[in-house]
Amino acid sequence: MEKRPYFIFGDLLSNVFLGSLIGLICTWVFDPGWGMFSAMFIGMLLGMGISLVLGVLLFFRYFGAMEVMIPTMLTGMLVGMFVAMGSSMASLSATTGVKIGALTGLIVMIVTYATNHLLTKDIQEF
Amino acid sequence: MDNKTQRKWNRVAKNFDFMTGIGPDKRWGTAKQALFSHMQGNILFLALGTGLDIDFFPKNQTITAIDISPKMVALAQPRVAAYEGEIEAKVMDVHDLPYSPNTFDQVYTSCTFCSVPKPVEGLQKLYEVLKPGGGLYMFEHTGSHYFPFNMMMHLMTPISSQVGPSMNRATTENVRRAGFQITKVIHHYLDVVKSIHAEVPSNI
Repeated sequence: MEKRPYFIFGDLLSNVFLGSLIGLICTWVFDPGWGMFSAMFIGMLLGMGISLVLGVLLFFRYFGAMEVMIPTMLTGMLVGMFVAMGSSMASLSATTGVKIGALTGLIVMIVTYATNHLLTKDIQEF
Repeated sequence: MDNKTQRKWNRVAKNFDFMTGIGPDKRWGTAKQALFSHMQGNILFLALGTGLDIDFFPKNQTITAIDISPKMVALAQPRVAAYEGEIEAKVMDVHDLPYSPNTFDQVYTSCTFCSVPKPVEGLQKLYEVLKPGGGLYMFEHTGSHYFPFNMMMHLMTPISSQVGPSMNRATTENVRRAGFQITKVIHHYLDVVKSIHAEVPSNI
């Protein structure tokens, strides 16, 4: 598991920042005029696309490749789904979108760290 | 020579150090150093890139380092020249290795088989040029076996493979398919970034 403060900060920053930004964008794009399932699906693709592009452009160089791209895409996917679906049912404020995004980014980072700990603790010898 | 792959990596060469020289290099440096610490004998190294991995090589080795991109190999020259040992850098496609069977004691790869168009065929070429009992040491990123990571990496691959590597390669399984005996797999990040130790059976 990653224990270096520089990278823990980078993982936190990239997930919370991108989660918040995607949450904000989804509150602008989606409103109750959208069907719930189409909003959820398009929100998911939008979230993944934004996190892929901005993850590479802003964070890849400083904080790592897979370690940035995998959790931020998961954050983008989930925030896109949640906020787009929420906005299609009842118009969400920008602040709510940002809060959902930041919290989702934090949870994704914690879950990814826990999963990483489980998958990297043993060496497979044959 | 696979011209499509060569063009892709020639395009990337100019910005390669800028993109990977801080974060990815620091994340993976310790793991790469541990893998390369096994170096001994006549060594083939794939893929040299701009030579960033040379910093992690132990000193005083004799290494043939290849890459498909002439622009990458040109950019690697200062690092090749600075290495305290012997590195011969060449432009070469793993599918068309010109070496005789049983030439090398060890082969090392670093984030290579995410980009080789025909990975099993490429690994079979490595099998041929290794001596019986010779070691294959790989630092690679692969696809994941676990949801949702596997789904995302499948979705990312059509985009990522246009500008760089595929994200969903089954490299561990491909090593077995090529005939190698895998001796050790060390996961560095999820089941995605890993070191693979394998060997050509010594009784062939």
